[in-house]
Amino acid sequence: MQFRHEQLPNGLDIVAEVSEAAHSASLGFFVKTGARDEYDAISGASHFLEHMVFKGTDTLSAEDINLRFDFMGASANAFTSEEDTVYYAAVLPEKQHDALELLSAMMRPALREDDFVTEKQVILEEIKMYDDQPPFGADDRCRALFFRDHPLARSVLGSTSSIEALEVEAMREYHQQRYSSDNLVLAASGAVNFESLIKSAHQLCGEWKPSPPSNRKVHFCTTQSEIVTDVITREQAALEYVVRMSPGPAEDANDRFAAKLLAVVLGDDSGSRLYWDIVDSGKAEHAACNHHDFLDAGVFVTQLSCEPENTHALLNRIVEIYQGAENGLSNNEVDQARNKLLSRVVLAGERPRQRLFSLGLEWAHLGRYRSVPDDLATLDKISREDLHRILAEWHLPASSSTVLAGPLLSDSSSS
Amino acid sequence: MKQTLQTATLDNGIILLGEFLPGVESVSVSFHVAAGSLCDSLSTRGSGRSCCGLATLAGELMLRGAGERDSKQLVAALDNAGVQWSQSVSMSHGSFAGAMVSRQLPDSLKIYADILRRPLLDQTQFDPARQVVLQNLAGTEDDPTHRTMLALRKAHYPSPWGLPCEGTSADVAELSHTDVKNFVTTFIQPQDMIISVAGRLDWPEFVKQIEGLFSNWQGQLPNPISVGDRGDKICHVPYDSQQTHIALAWDVPPYRDPDSLQATAALAVLGGGSSSRLFTEVREKRGLCYSVSAGYQTQRDLAAAMAYSGTTADRAQETLDVMLHEIAALPGTITEDELDRVKARAKSGLVMQQESTAARAGAMARQWFHLGRIRTLAEDLERLDGLSVESIEDWLAKNPLKEITTVFLGRDPLEVPDAVSP
Repeated sequence: MQFRHEQLPNGLDIVAEVSEAAHSASLGFFVKTGARDEYDAISGASHFLEHMVFKGTDTLSAEDINLRFDFMGASANAFTSEEDTVYYAAVLPEKQHDALELLSAMMRPALREDDFVTEKQVILEEIKMYDDQPPFGADDRCRALFFRDHPLARSVLGSTSSIEALEVEAMREYHQQRYSSDNLVLAASGAVNFESLIKSAHQLCGEWKPSPPSNRKVHFCTTQSEIVTDVITREQAALEYVVRMSPGPAEDANDRFAAKLLAVVLGDDSGSRLYWDIVDSGKAEHAACNHHDFLDAGVFVTQLSCEPENTHALLNRIVEIYQGAENGLSNNEVDQARNKLLSRVVLAGERPRQRLFSLGLEWAHLGRYRSVPDDLATLDKISREDLHRILAEWHLPASSSTVLAGPLLSDSSSS
Repeated sequence: MKQTLQTATLDNGIILLGEFLPGVESVSVSFHVAAGSLCDSLSTRGSGRSCCGLATLAGELMLRGAGERDSKQLVAALDNAGVQWSQSVSMSHGSFAGAMVSRQLPDSLKIYADILRRPLLDQTQFDPARQVVLQNLAGTEDDPTHRTMLALRKAHYPSPWGLPCEGTSADVAELSHTDVKNFVTTFIQPQDMIISVAGRLDWPEFVKQIEGLFSNWQGQLPNPISVGDRGDKICHVPYDSQQTHIALAWDVPPYRDPDSLQATAALAVLGGGSSSRLFTEVREKRGLCYSVSAGYQTQRDLAAAMAYSGTTADRAQETLDVMLHEIAALPGTITEDELDRVKARAKSGLVMQQESTAARAGAMARQWFHLGRIRTLAEDLERLDGLSVESIEDWLAKNPLKEITTVFLGRDPLEVPDAVSP
């Protein structure tokens, strides 16, 4: 594996992790924009724009784009999150230039009114689809409660009303502001020809214009005086779905990896404290804890799905389990979790498509490169005491926000 | 690309498949026992009892302690060896798989031998195991797409192929510890078991160790399954949701039939990739839905094409009409460009599979199950190159679509035209 970096005069960063053993090359544009960069009148615009990018440019129709990707045998897609919009394609190495040519053209979409009207229907369908599925909006609602007036409170999809009200001109303006050359990172991984990539990028992206720098970070106050709970009632649901958020280290914190290791000890899909206590015994369909980090905040997310009548007892039990962890973790459980994470890092490192996301997001957020050996070394150094320190500092049992979605009624939330 | 494929057969019928993949540190191994959900009905043949979910429950209980290790010790041993393990049940197989750094392979093979040959099937673990299966079934109740596809399989396939692999709550609630013990004794057998391994691998050492762990295991599978009836051709599942879910199925040749190549290529033109006809006509041009696709599902002796879309109730009829129109319009209209795209996508997929040890181990096992051999990448690519528009059109002309099974899940049923021809 060899890391390469170059910056074009217009500020576009190009990073690559080159692996001669790989059979494919993965390329992606990582745009530093997402739900957190929106305001009420354009809620959902980042994600809608991600769809519109596939609808064509001044010289390409939507059909042209789909045809070209399929002709090159590309596995291409995109996603939008709170902080990022990512467009990517995995191709055979000989298609590297073709893929970059198409992806870079797409970064300058036409945003035609008639496409906008048609695609709006697709977005509204996507909102309805998620609304029919577990956790029935509990994740969005919980994030809104937890982050309050912080930009991370915003929904990625937006709402039916915000999407219906959105006009194409507002999206054009948003695109103009957010897709400037220095707000994008071009990342590549696998069997990449870096010299050729740079040459193509100069030719295809060299004319893009930079924008004035902006600060995306907003201080998030983690001390919250009250425990907030909300309920979304879905009478037809078989199970109750719970999302619970409490503060944790942000992505630039030294404890970021330790927080992830702690989450594996507490709430991994198997072999964790939540697993043995709640899932293995068949008390719940699912109980897990994860750590998510953002530019300026971090969060421990606990998810539970169970029979409605057991919800409150199990939520109390989860708090007891977190309290028990504060009384001390064993060396064995920490080592077991560490071994799992080490193995995941090694296996993910073999897949160019998986490495692309680590590479691109790390550079887009922190402007740095972390290799697989870097991640392994960091994990190896984390001690049991580090995890105890995080437990003491972030105090997981003190819940910030909890949302229940399922058959339970709202007056049951306080029991 | 030079490829190193290996096969071996033990005296007791266990098949070993291996591929050395250069440039990786990991290895993936998977064990496929002929104890899939099709065996649910066999285990109570003649008793009149339905045991849908028995194979799933057996898989769950087998992981709860084996050999010298109890449930917790077993998971700890796999986790500490950095094995990313999984267990699953399909119609034909119960499967146990693990991906790991290659030096851990010898120790983890011993653990898998314990799971397959010496599961504790601890009485005290039975109730929690059954609870876990019941909880998972309750969870699938809330997934409208999953429910739609279950209803489609039930309507389209003859019994027992149409029954859900994961079981039904009513049947699982009635299963006993003795049922599971009998199932494991009867169906977890070396005969027809496939062990597939891919990655950084010392093949002779692997074969030697597997022989040591499995060669003294003897046993035969019971008689095969008899085919039952199919369900209704049109089925509406009432469900209070914003979207109506539409699922369609029709018969196509199974993977081992040489014609399956033509059938799957036609299906890819219809619903694979973002330039496919369904994606273009239903989503891109009309904005009728977020998801629409068509795919291929094969068992050894029967297979189905399945198409799906989910859309708002008031646009569901138009979505169904467009889907049926595109299916009917396919014969006689496939272009060279469409076939080129299908080939390009398939080739990329085959090459990229070489980058994942787990994907390779799984793919080899599937190919052996269907064909009784594994094809090299070069062979697979050559078959793709041999495909022509004429060969696909010829197959479509000789095999006109006779009947489509149609399932809707949502508030209201939709109208299905009598004939499927345009």
